[in-house]
Amino acid sequence: MDFFQAEERAKRRTGWLIALFSLAVCGTVLAVYVATRFALHLAGKGVLDQLWPYFWEPRLFWNVAVYTLLLICAASLYKTRAVSASADAIALGLGGRLLDPNTHDPHERRLLNVVEEMAIASGVPVPAVHLLPAEPGINAFAVGLDPSRSSIAVTDGCLRMLSRDELQGVVAHEFSHLLNGDARINLRLLGLVHGILVIGLIGSMILRTLRAGDSGKRKLNPGGIGAVVFVGAALYLIGSVGVFFTRLIKAAVCRQRELLADASGVQFTRNPAGLAGALKKIGGLDQGSRLLAARAEEASHFYFSEGMGRWTSLLSTHPPLLERIRLLDPQFQGALAGGQLSPVALEEEVAGVAAAVPVSRAVPAPARSVVSSVGALGEQHIAYAQSLVARIPQRLRESIREPWVARAVVLALVLDRKPETRAAQMNALVSVGDPHLADQVARASTALQTAPVEARLPLVDLALPALRRLSRAQYTQLRAALDRMIRADARIELFEYTLQRVLLRHLAAQFEPQGQLPPAGPPMDVAMALSILLSMLAHAGAADSAEAAHAFEAAGGELSPGRFRLALLARQQCDLRALDRALARLRETAPRLRAEVIGACAAAVATDGTVTVAEGELLRAISDSLGCPMPPLLPGQGVAAIRPSGGAARARAG
Amino acid sequence: MAGWIVLGILILAVVLIVSVYNQLVALRNRYKNAFSQIDVQLKRRYDLIPNLVETAKGYLQHERQTLEAVIAARNQASSAAQRAAAAPGDAAAMRDLAGAESALGGALGRMFALAEAYPDLKANTTMNQLSEELSSTENKVAFARQAYNDAVMAYNTGREVFPASLIAGAAGFVEARLWELERAVEREQVKVSFA
Repeated sequence: MDFFQAEERAKRRTGWLIALFSLAVCGTVLAVYVATRFALHLAGKGVLDQLWPYFWEPRLFWNVAVYTLLLICAASLYKTRAVSASADAIALGLGGRLLDPNTHDPHERRLLNVVEEMAIASGVPVPAVHLLPAEPGINAFAVGLDPSRSSIAVTDGCLRMLSRDELQGVVAHEFSHLLNGDARINLRLLGLVHGILVIGLIGSMILRTLRAGDSGKRKLNPGGIGAVVFVGAALYLIGSVGVFFTRLIKAAVCRQRELLADASGVQFTRNPAGLAGALKKIGGLDQGSRLLAARAEEASHFYFSEGMGRWTSLLSTHPPLLERIRLLDPQFQGALAGGQLSPVALEEEVAGVAAAVPVSRAVPAPARSVVSSVGALGEQHIAYAQSLVARIPQRLRESIREPWVARAVVLALVLDRKPETRAAQMNALVSVGDPHLADQVARASTALQTAPVEARLPLVDLALPALRRLSRAQYTQLRAALDRMIRADARIELFEYTLQRVLLRHLAAQFEPQGQLPPAGPPMDVAMALSILLSMLAHAGAADSAEAAHAFEAAGGELSPGRFRLALLARQQCDLRALDRALARLRETAPRLRAEVIGACAAAVATDGTVTVAEGELLRAISDSLGCPMPPLLPGQGVAAIRPSGGAARARAG
Repeated sequence: MAGWIVLGILILAVVLIVSVYNQLVALRNRYKNAFSQIDVQLKRRYDLIPNLVETAKGYLQHERQTLEAVIAARNQASSAAQRAAAAPGDAAAMRDLAGAESALGGALGRMFALAEAYPDLKANTTMNQLSEELSSTENKVAFARQAYNDAVMAYNTGREVFPASLIAGAAGFVEARLWELERAVEREQVKVSFA
């Protein structure tokens, strides 16, 4: 199953969920009505026998229905907003601490390295990493609505008890949650459960106020008190029953997502033993995966493994541990090492990465011409990411975790090779107002000379966590500096555009008040948007207009025939602002169409038989803009169309 | 009907208070995080200084006092930084840290000024590397301090605007203090840069 099918399926499943939840909400409304009716009757000191003929009162029903629905909606909206406001909020709420990217603690260093590798391998920006230092159990979770604002948290036990392979397995599992968009579904579930929970809360609040009010000897007629007690108790009961059922639904969905994440986690690392080992350690640990934080339940469905003790497997958000292990390791006999585990001894981690994981362990790759599928990464991507990271000078790799250096490196990446353009760019930098900036960028540029060309975009991915720690004023300055440097030579190059696009897309989520920057101008027709995008790509790799026409033709062939009327635009007509608008439009289309679009883009780039590094980077940036993270194109990999049934436009990258 | 309206208003008020509170917590976390960035750089700087003094000792044998002053200032700043890290934004801790840091800056400045008179020391590679590292760390401290001040400013504004101002005091959101530089010392530091 590829990324787009997964996304489509997730959407369908969300539809089902909403249907099920609507049923639960209807039940709740009816129950509240029945309770209110009884309560009113009690308050009027009526006899039960006289109740039945007048039981149904439409006006009362509509009143009750409207207020109950309003309450549920408000509560679930509030919860959804509170949680989506910041991925960090959940981790911090559970007692998490943001790991310092510069940390010298060897365990923390190892975790950050594993996360960075996985991020480069999958084309997702490096997420924030939190540690739950007070949790001795082995557990982890990933939260975040979109990859630009996601966060991975692991417990202290996870950090210290697992070997590197096992840790990698756990991190891969969490990344597949991020890639599969599970957080989005989970968030909706969380919001709806909370909406129904509030009804129960109000019930218990009424009961508690009454108990407190007893001592005050308030003058209420006994029937009135009886009615209020009844309403309180009934609301409490309805809330509890409702929450129970909605949790059942939530748990059932979560268990499916977990199995999927296990499967894709193994697909990423090609090392079932790692993930299985981590699960076995959880089974063997006294503490297991249980979390101690008081608010642990709130995020239970995000965890790597069951975070709560449950009295029934129906409510578990995770499949049974033994079943998960058996799926990964068929030879498993069910014997878990009991008692206490001791922290693992660390292998040498100083060199950063590649040393610790021998690439030779990878299973023989089926073929070099792997269809590069968006949102999925294979073990060769991880190996590639490791070798790429290893080729970046170590000093640069370490210092890029600091905001001060990350900023300079990103700016240095757009420095031109021609001396006169370079001078103009440096002048533009001075005008930004920070006296140290130009000097710092010049140094970063020297450091960059030894880094491989393919590492340019991955360096941006590596710089993102540090850049997120800039203050808003510093971000604004960086944006201005980048803009002035890019415009210094009065023309925008493709790489400059790509870099700006990737950078701002992932930083805007945090720094721009309204989230993403909406492009100026009226919304665009889809066919027009496609024409602009594909013309742009066709011209980018073509020497003359005939070649461009050929590439455009090939790209059009990847789309469903007859659906869109496409026209090749002249080179002069393709400006980057139009491209921005086109991408914003295409971002909103259905997943299946987006899959076709990326297939078409790949074809446009690959028709001339070569994919340059710049073209590959542009392709990844476009895919990223469309909300589909794409792993790096591997040297020698066939750029077959990404569409599942796609044609075979082959080319050698690099 | 009136009962429902009162209930509605109550619920709205609760929702408002909770969201304002959460907003303040987020802002406070942000500036505390920003301080931890400074802290990392400061620690690195405090680790560098003893090495620097050790290297300089061989050349500046007659300037024992200056060197001791640097070490003393470094120790004082280091403990002030520890106190500030325990309670970032606390007025007294931040004032102490800013004071100790500018004293350290002054002491270092005097040492570099002395070093100007010793060509051997100026030519020493270790010394050059260390002072290069030191000035780069100083730039990073300045940058991180700017980020910290921005975050504190956002937090302080956040707790002073209506309606947050109504609950900020009661909920224990005290004003955080900026890290301000004492101008005189700062100027002195610039003057004696090690060329």
